[in-house]
Amino acid sequence: MAVQAESKQSSHAGDHSKLDPKDHLLLDPKPRGEMNAMVMEAMQTTHWRFWVAVAVLGGIVAYCLVYMWIYMIQEGLGVAGVNRPVYWGVFLVNTVFWIGISHAGTFVSALLRVFKAEYRRPFTRAAELMTSFGLIQAGISILMHMGRVWRFYWMVPYPNERMLWPNFRSPLMWDLLAITTYLLASTMYLFLPLIPDLAMARDRSTGWRKKLYRVLALGFRGTEKEWSHLHHALNIFAFAILPVMFSVHTIVSWDFAVATRPGWNSTIFGPYFVIGALHSGIAAVSMVLIVVRATMKNMKYFIRKEHFNALGVLMLIVSMGWAYFFFNDFMVQWYGGDKWTHFLLHWHEAGPIGWMWFLMLIFNIAVPWLTLWNKKWRSSPLVLFVVGLLINVGMYFERYIIVPVSLGINRNPFSWGEYKPGVEIYLTIGTFALFILLYMIASKLIPLVPVWEVQEGQLAHSVRKIGKAELPAVTDLE
Amino acid sequence: MTEKLKILALFEDIDPAAHSMDALHDLGIGHEEVEVITGSPIKPEMMGRHHPHSKVPLFAFVGSVGGLFIGILLAFVTPRLYPLNVGGKGLSPGAPSIVVIFEMIMLFMLISTFLGVIFESMFPDYTKKEYHPEISDGHIAVLIDIEPDQQSALEDAMKNAGAKTVRVAERQQI
Amino acid sequence: MDKKIPEFKANFAEEEQGKWGLVVDQDLCTGCNACVVACSMENNVSFVGEDDAAYGRAMHWIRIERLWEGEYPEVKKTPYQPTMCQQCGDAPCEPVCPVFAAVHSEAQDLNAQVYNRCVGTRYCANNCPYQVRVFNWRDWERPTPLENQLNPDVTVRQRGVMEKCTFCIQRIRKAEDTAKSENREFQDGDMQTACQQACPANAIIFGRLDDPESQVSKMSKQDRGTELLPELGISPRVTYLEVRK
Repeated sequence: MAVQAESKQSSHAGDHSKLDPKDHLLLDPKPRGEMNAMVMEAMQTTHWRFWVAVAVLGGIVAYCLVYMWIYMIQEGLGVAGVNRPVYWGVFLVNTVFWIGISHAGTFVSALLRVFKAEYRRPFTRAAELMTSFGLIQAGISILMHMGRVWRFYWMVPYPNERMLWPNFRSPLMWDLLAITTYLLASTMYLFLPLIPDLAMARDRSTGWRKKLYRVLALGFRGTEKEWSHLHHALNIFAFAILPVMFSVHTIVSWDFAVATRPGWNSTIFGPYFVIGALHSGIAAVSMVLIVVRATMKNMKYFIRKEHFNALGVLMLIVSMGWAYFFFNDFMVQWYGGDKWTHFLLHWHEAGPIGWMWFLMLIFNIAVPWLTLWNKKWRSSPLVLFVVGLLINVGMYFERYIIVPVSLGINRNPFSWGEYKPGVEIYLTIGTFALFILLYMIASKLIPLVPVWEVQEGQLAHSVRKIGKAELPAVTDLE
Repeated sequence: MTEKLKILALFEDIDPAAHSMDALHDLGIGHEEVEVITGSPIKPEMMGRHHPHSKVPLFAFVGSVGGLFIGILLAFVTPRLYPLNVGGKGLSPGAPSIVVIFEMIMLFMLISTFLGVIFESMFPDYTKKEYHPEISDGHIAVLIDIEPDQQSALEDAMKNAGAKTVRVAERQQI
Repeated sequence: MDKKIPEFKANFAEEEQGKWGLVVDQDLCTGCNACVVACSMENNVSFVGEDDAAYGRAMHWIRIERLWEGEYPEVKKTPYQPTMCQQCGDAPCEPVCPVFAAVHSEAQDLNAQVYNRCVGTRYCANNCPYQVRVFNWRDWERPTPLENQLNPDVTVRQRGVMEKCTFCIQRIRKAEDTAKSENREFQDGDMQTACQQACPANAIIFGRLDDPESQVSKMSKQDRGTELLPELGISPRVTYLEVRK
């Protein structure tokens, strides 16, 4: 469906009044059939390097995740680095980290949808996939840290003869409910807008793919009723999944904040963690998009510098928000905290892991603030990738400091101690490998770009002439 | 009692498809006998048609009420089946109960919304249906129910309005 | 004694003195660690080996905290502090367990750890301000013939399970049963905790806090008596008698 764009007749006026369609995906429409073909090609073609990567990642998952986890279950948590007083270590760090990554997807597909940020259109699905796969890693990490993981189902509320239900006064139970809700909700929110694209893939494929997409597309045709139901559902999901997203990371932060530990018992943890999740999440989305754009065919059409520019702006703003909450937490604890809290803050800065605290501040604040203000830099995929990577490392450090480093100090100096990760290193590598592996497999199984949403956006966008300027105009098609 | 015929007219753009609605109106074909199928959502108003009613918000509402009951069950009923004292806290303290009830409301509302789409659209439906694969390539399909004697008039009208193809719609395995 | 579950947290009575209590006289304690050994023997506590112990994984349910005032050789005071589960009235370890493995026993007013319910999330240990909870990081060995030393009254715990001092609940139950069969209440001298029994200085006294005539009741009310971390308001049942000036 071609957009009736105004013809650019004013070639004589001055070049800065012309809009370059190469800058804007939604002003550079292609026929739907062509975009479909591009997405199908990106999905169906694989380079031999893809298979090498899959094999390597599969091997890493098999050894670092599966084998090491079985080993840990057999031997007990003694092969990990946890001890007294650091009862929670890297597994909890990973859980918080992966839930943070998963917030990225919801942010892009729900928050940007609610705010009608049109630039989200080409990458909502790529981001939403990160949510589902990130939550899987978070779930695995939390199961790993349990002493008797084979009894984890006792945390699931189900009727039994002994009338023994789980303890809903425990923050871990709120965690279970919140993460389950979020996982199911974001998977449904991933699937619903995928249905029309699965229908498109069904119409354009053969063999086993056609069978797969025919089953998954549920017989979707595109009638007015079907679009109406989908439209209502997507609106409800977008609005409703936002409080769920905020509540999930707030509840995860309460695992720490409601405890009686110095440094943990801070009232700011809720919003601090949510902003932290957005910080690492948006950085991770940028990284994934850059890799997708570099490695998959035709993605350079869909994902352009304007998107990196927008994500870079978001990263800068969220980085400022994170700095605000971090400073808030620090100031309040430093000024009015008890002697244990004071010693903990000193331990953060000057203890054996003090270097991590400083690097955290550099990566989370200095790096984005010094680079992302410049439009040219943040539109460059390479710069954005490096900045995103450093932000993610910085945020991982932040959670490492909050969990194992802070647990080293408590109100009983006789029980102060340090933490040295053991098999957690392998298992962490395993979760990263599994995340990447799942993502790579998904990118070849489902269309990564929601073409119908891109087409909808291209229909809504046109170029309008006001005076001598050519400006983009957006029609509200809600 | 003549059998009704279903005609499929395929348009490449919104404007010709919208204008064809006038032609249908001239032929005395009402909105209920016409179905519009598109590869990306267009507002029905663009075709001069009414927005179809959807019960999905109702499903969402019912789901949230269900979630409320389940949240109340978990937070208020289950602790009393086997009351245990933990740390001097009451059996159903206010703040944790709010958390549990909120999550259950959201969970069941969203599950219900999803099931609402499934039920309302009657998914999954793998039976043979009228369809054309070019719809997902961005074409607009107009399906019209007519008496067989109107067929040639309709085909002319659609071709004049700018239809790419006009033919009798067959049920096919999509 | 039936302690009602409060309706609101604020209703919880801090002044309730509890049922069972301990008094530790730091003036008498010599830091000999006999209580540690006796407790480990009585309660089938595992021996973790040098490496694990150095890494903070020793399984002792009671530990002697070495504290001193002054610099060697002019050390003025050595108030050794035997620290065990304080059996808090308002224990922070209890509400955080997702599966109700750490609950408050209403009959005994003690903090109960239910071994076969524990799934090993270790939140309770993080939340204990005294850090007295220990976790079974492995299945430590008991090479033959050490398994003959096991106390049949006490479970042997599996890896992945949390444990802590129980005020020798198995001895409490036996003593209460005996008293009940003799149609009387428990009285001082009916039983001793393992740590109390082993202490050569009689620095540990155990008994009924709700019996005003019991030794532990009287001693806990002495001027020298303090609680650990009283500002938390969690009502520990252990009173420490400070070293005399």
